[in-house]
Amino acid sequence: MTGNSAAPHFGPDELDLWLAGTPSPEMRNHVDECCTCLELVRAEEALAAQLAALPLYAPKADLADRVMASVYIPDPFAIRSLQAARRRLLASPKAVAIAATIALVLLGSMTASAAWTLANRETLVAAGNWLVGEAARWAWVGLRSAALNLTEQPWFVGFRSLVETPGRLALASAAMSLMYVSGILALRRLLAVPPRQVAHANG
Amino acid sequence: MPSRVDLAPKTDQEIVVLARAGEEAAYRELIRRYERPLFSLLFRMVRDRELAEDLAQETFVKALNAIESYRPEFKFSSWIFKIANNAAIDHLRRRELDTLSLEGSPQAETPEAIEATALQIGGRQESPLAEVEARELGGQIEAAIAQLRPEYRSCILLRHVEGRAYEEIAEILNLPLGTVKTYIHRARNELRQALAHLRE
Repeated sequence: MTGNSAAPHFGPDELDLWLAGTPSPEMRNHVDECCTCLELVRAEEALAAQLAALPLYAPKADLADRVMASVYIPDPFAIRSLQAARRRLLASPKAVAIAATIALVLLGSMTASAAWTLANRETLVAAGNWLVGEAARWAWVGLRSAALNLTEQPWFVGFRSLVETPGRLALASAAMSLMYVSGILALRRLLAVPPRQVAHANG
Repeated sequence: MPSRVDLAPKTDQEIVVLARAGEEAAYRELIRRYERPLFSLLFRMVRDRELAEDLAQETFVKALNAIESYRPEFKFSSWIFKIANNAAIDHLRRRELDTLSLEGSPQAETPEAIEATALQIGGRQESPLAEVEARELGGQIEAAIAQLRPEYRSCILLRHVEGRAYEEIAEILNLPLGTVKTYIHRARNELRQALAHLRE
């Protein structure tokens, strides 16, 4: 065995063949004669074995649950219904023809609608303006009716006299604010989380 | 709904068909099959347990939510490894990590954090002595792998730890076949040199 075999030393391809366990007879003969390549293939074999023996690491046990919490799973019933509908739709030439006709009618009507809209934009704008004007008129009539109805109420005169002067108005406002704040405080007290029970030194 | 016993002998492609039909057990079976290989690859790429957990979760969520876009003519393992590798490479491009610890994350500062980030090695049953020896030897190999460039690291892990074919690695990493062979050859050279003292 020498380090000066006539054949060239092993390159990456020869080493791959060696590691795959499929070296040619010439390669085997070369290794028998060449110390350099023998040492190389032994080192490569050892390295490959060490790498292959590395353990698999385990993630935390709840990985699957954490993943599944973020994964959308399609509804099997909906998928089956869709597949059944598709099968029914494509069951016979007649069914296909009906489906194609419906699709054509829908497509045609949508196209016609879009074309009419584009050709009659002025008419659509005028109709829109008329609708907005009518809506505003009816809103004003409704507001006036509500105001008239309010002033006709028997309690309205008394209420008006209560806030007739600035002093009374301020007093009424203060009273209402006080009632509002009291209400808020009472609500907070009702909705507060009860304090946790703690152990006391005296038992 | 089929149980795990029913799903275990099925191929990945058959499981994917069931998942697409809305079978939750099929999703869980895919996670069960790939959680350890993916997590191991990701941990060896980023060298941080918590981060590898996050990336594994991100990989599974991304893959399973896009299961409709998976093309069955390709291997499912190639597809999911590609997503995982992209996640790891994206992360490494954003952040440089330089030390490896099998005992816990390099970022862990308290004993609790070190314990929480320490690895649980699963799978093989070994005697305590063999386990210690394997751990010491494995630790040196892991440290040597950690010193490789990320591209070399992906290639060598997929080839010699995962046992993937060159063509599959080229597909996973989106690299020409010749480049993959070159990377693996260079990575083996570097590892051989780094571990030379173990052979003496």
